[in-house]
Amino acid sequence: MGELLNGFAVALTPSNLLWGLAGTTMGTAVGVLPGIGPALTVALLLPVTYGLDPTAALIMFAGIYYGAMYGGSTTSILLNTPGESATIVTALDGHHMARNGRAGAALATAAIGSFVAGTIATCALSLTAPLMVKLALAFGSADYFALMVLAFVMVTTMLGASPWLGWCSLLLGLTLGFVGIDGLSGQSRFTLGIPYLLDGIDPIIVAIGLFAVGETLWVASRGPEVDGVLPVRGSLMMTAAEWSRSWRPWLRGTAIGFPLGALPAGGAELPTLMSYAIEKRLSKHPEEFGRGAIEAVAGPEAANNASAAGTLVPLLTLGLPTSATAAVLLAAFQQFGLQPGPLLFEHETALVWGVIASLYIGSVMLLVLNLPLVGLWVKLLAIPRHWLYAGILVVASLGAFSVHRAAGDLLLMAIIGLVGFAMRAAGAPVAPVMIGLILGPAAEQHLRRALAISQGDWTVFLTRPLSASLIVVSVLLAGWGLARSATRNKIEA
Amino acid sequence: MEVAHPANCIGWRAVRAHAYLLHRERYNHGVRSLLALVFLWPALASAQSLTITAPAAPGGGWDQTARVMQRVLAEIDPGSNVQVENVPGAAGTIGLARFAQSERGNPDALLVTGLVMVSGVIINGSPVSLSDTTPIARLTGEYEVIVVPATSPYRSISDLVAAFRTNPGGISWGGGSAGGTDDLLIRLLAEQMGLPASTVNYIAFPGGGAALAAVLGGQLSAAVSGYAEFAGQIASGQLRVLAVSAASRVAGIDAPTLREAGINLDLANWRAVVAPPGLSDAEQTALIERVTRLTSSRQWQAALAQNGWDDLSLSGAPFRQFLLAEQARIEDVLRRLSATNHDTPASLAVAITPLSVPYAIGTMLLITFCGVIIRSAVARPQFDRVGRRMAGSIGLALLLLPVAFMSLGFVIASTALFALVAGSMRGASPRAATVAIDLLVGAAFSIALFTLFTGGLGVSLPSPWFL
Repeated sequence: MGELLNGFAVALTPSNLLWGLAGTTMGTAVGVLPGIGPALTVALLLPVTYGLDPTAALIMFAGIYYGAMYGGSTTSILLNTPGESATIVTALDGHHMARNGRAGAALATAAIGSFVAGTIATCALSLTAPLMVKLALAFGSADYFALMVLAFVMVTTMLGASPWLGWCSLLLGLTLGFVGIDGLSGQSRFTLGIPYLLDGIDPIIVAIGLFAVGETLWVASRGPEVDGVLPVRGSLMMTAAEWSRSWRPWLRGTAIGFPLGALPAGGAELPTLMSYAIEKRLSKHPEEFGRGAIEAVAGPEAANNASAAGTLVPLLTLGLPTSATAAVLLAAFQQFGLQPGPLLFEHETALVWGVIASLYIGSVMLLVLNLPLVGLWVKLLAIPRHWLYAGILVVASLGAFSVHRAAGDLLLMAIIGLVGFAMRAAGAPVAPVMIGLILGPAAEQHLRRALAISQGDWTVFLTRPLSASLIVVSVLLAGWGLARSATRNKIEA
Repeated sequence: MEVAHPANCIGWRAVRAHAYLLHRERYNHGVRSLLALVFLWPALASAQSLTITAPAAPGGGWDQTARVMQRVLAEIDPGSNVQVENVPGAAGTIGLARFAQSERGNPDALLVTGLVMVSGVIINGSPVSLSDTTPIARLTGEYEVIVVPATSPYRSISDLVAAFRTNPGGISWGGGSAGGTDDLLIRLLAEQMGLPASTVNYIAFPGGGAALAAVLGGQLSAAVSGYAEFAGQIASGQLRVLAVSAASRVAGIDAPTLREAGINLDLANWRAVVAPPGLSDAEQTALIERVTRLTSSRQWQAALAQNGWDDLSLSGAPFRQFLLAEQARIEDVLRRLSATNHDTPASLAVAITPLSVPYAIGTMLLITFCGVIIRSAVARPQFDRVGRRMAGSIGLALLLLPVAFMSLGFVIASTALFALVAGSMRGASPRAATVAIDLLVGAAFSIALFTLFTGGLGVSLPSPWFL
């Protein structure tokens, strides 16, 4: 508790407040704009925040993460084009509410729900993180390896149209991660004799290529624009009936979002879908779902914010990213020479708790930014689409170049962008690539270290209770995922 | 273990030099504009900047050296802006390669180095060696300690050594990168005891800090590293020091020397700083002066005492000679070790090599990819003609971008990219009016970004070849 108070002392310094405000504002903006998400924004900002105080930069990045979850709902409701994958569900009923003239209420329940969920989930984060740290110290290399295997299995099973495509994405990320000099032996791997590849493939370049370039190409390939923006009509005030229909979904959304975010299930998509399904089942008006039910906006919006906080638990305590944004945030920590994990809480107490405290403050800022100022954000959507994406590509190439000031990075970005486009076209999820790229080398090192400690005895993964249970869960999950897809194919055939 | 083949190094260097000429940038330092007042500016720009690369994970000895330098430099020169960058792995050779490659000619960059890197370069066959950098100064030295967790059955170094003698593979030693000081100490210890080096079960971590979590968690029999890396846990009683690798007892470390236990061995882990290659004599002298001012400061001496580091400061030509002598000596030690340990990899008794996992994963990728294609699990989206043309022209523009970027400079290349993407996204066939507007908007946007980055953020961007 004292640590959290110290964290507030860090987060409340004028400059850190300013960075938090910058982060939440930028986060809302990128959330509103379709095509740029928090993962990309943080990746683009990494090279320029290099000289910054790590606490300030991480407070800003956390603000971007939270902010994007708020901003995404605006586009879903008014444009029927989700700004974020986490707000796809919001578009289902939110856009109908807007067409029914209840845009104000939809935006309000999304913003207030996000605030409620963000605050509760941040409290849960403050309480569970220290417990996780204690648990994490008992983790050996074998357990870390098993945990990462579980993360790989969950990410591929939960995302995408078919687990085969998920595995393909993951394996691509893993293979890219092995390029460069091996951290344990110093041997170069997959470098094809090209000196440029000795440094390995920078996750930041891959994030920029996959998210900015891949997305732009995908949008371009869909042909000229069709959707129009609905004006914000109706009062921003919610009626008493709307309040009473909203508060339970907010709480349930939080309860679903936080634990699912903390599990390595690949982000906020799953919790929002689950929240939608549960609200529909519990609602007294299930017939309204799909035609503008407020519960269907309140629940998923709370769930996606809660999952953002949940994601931070394994990221900070185990160094385990469970979503694409978390993977980029991990790269951000590493840029500043910080290794998230149990020792981070011991060595960088002020930084960790400062960032956590900034999340409480950020939630308040976001409520203010999003309720009264919603009209301002809508204006962002007035930027013509062709200029928006042209600008995104210019900023993306600038960001990719400034990481190492190497022209090779630009070529890599373009190639990864084309791969990302092909993956979107094939319906393959892109998040597993990021997770594989970042976690792959770590998982391999843990595997080799665990085997070195056990003197080559492979049963070490089954004799340690933690690692054994994680491996069993992974195998069951992978089997279930493949079996499910097999039966689905059979039905379709 | 394998010693770098000289021909490899030369070939690699030639390729690198060629690549460097291709990538040569023309920096434009002239532009400092009003946009510099943008809010990012005050925190980022500063009068005297210095980037210290610590080629190890945080918590390790090089990292601590870099952080102490950063703190003391900020104290003795409050206007300066000193940053520490961690590039961990492979005995620091990953950091060394990146440093020598990307900081070339930068007079405001230092790399923390030491004994570990000298041996790492040899063991890992690194194409870049310390000879590719500009020697500045040796700073400190530190002796190694052997620690066990408080719950360990080994009460003294004699207990541990006895157990090691009975079953060498049964004692798992943890420490920094393979071939580092920690590894060397254990291999030398085995040699002194007459045990074949191939029986040693040494587990490499990216740095001493990473080994700390494993020894605290009871996954290692013992850990070896500099005293400073374990100081906190030794003070709190979580770790017990069994021995120190000095010739005589060290003040502040409550442990016997290895010699007292009858092992004729001592080893110091010295640390130094080097600058990038391609510096002028004046730039080199300026850096040496800056580092000398640091090492002679009161704050630095206090920091040495606090961390248990011995002052081994030595700069300029004497340091250059020391470095050459040390490189020769380490190579000799490693040859002797590798003679007894010729075909066995560093992490022994383990069936997997550094290439097994990557090859396994790569094969699985190919199989899955083929599987996906054969099963046609791929949804085939229908692209209309316009969409295909739009995406195609953008993709082509991006592939050409690197060339345009380096030859035409950032502003022209980005303006062209912007206009091309905007033109494609409009969908309709281009008209003079829309092309002109897109070019204007693109130029304004690119110039604004260029000014912000070069002027405000200090990131140099390529200028056109004709300027």
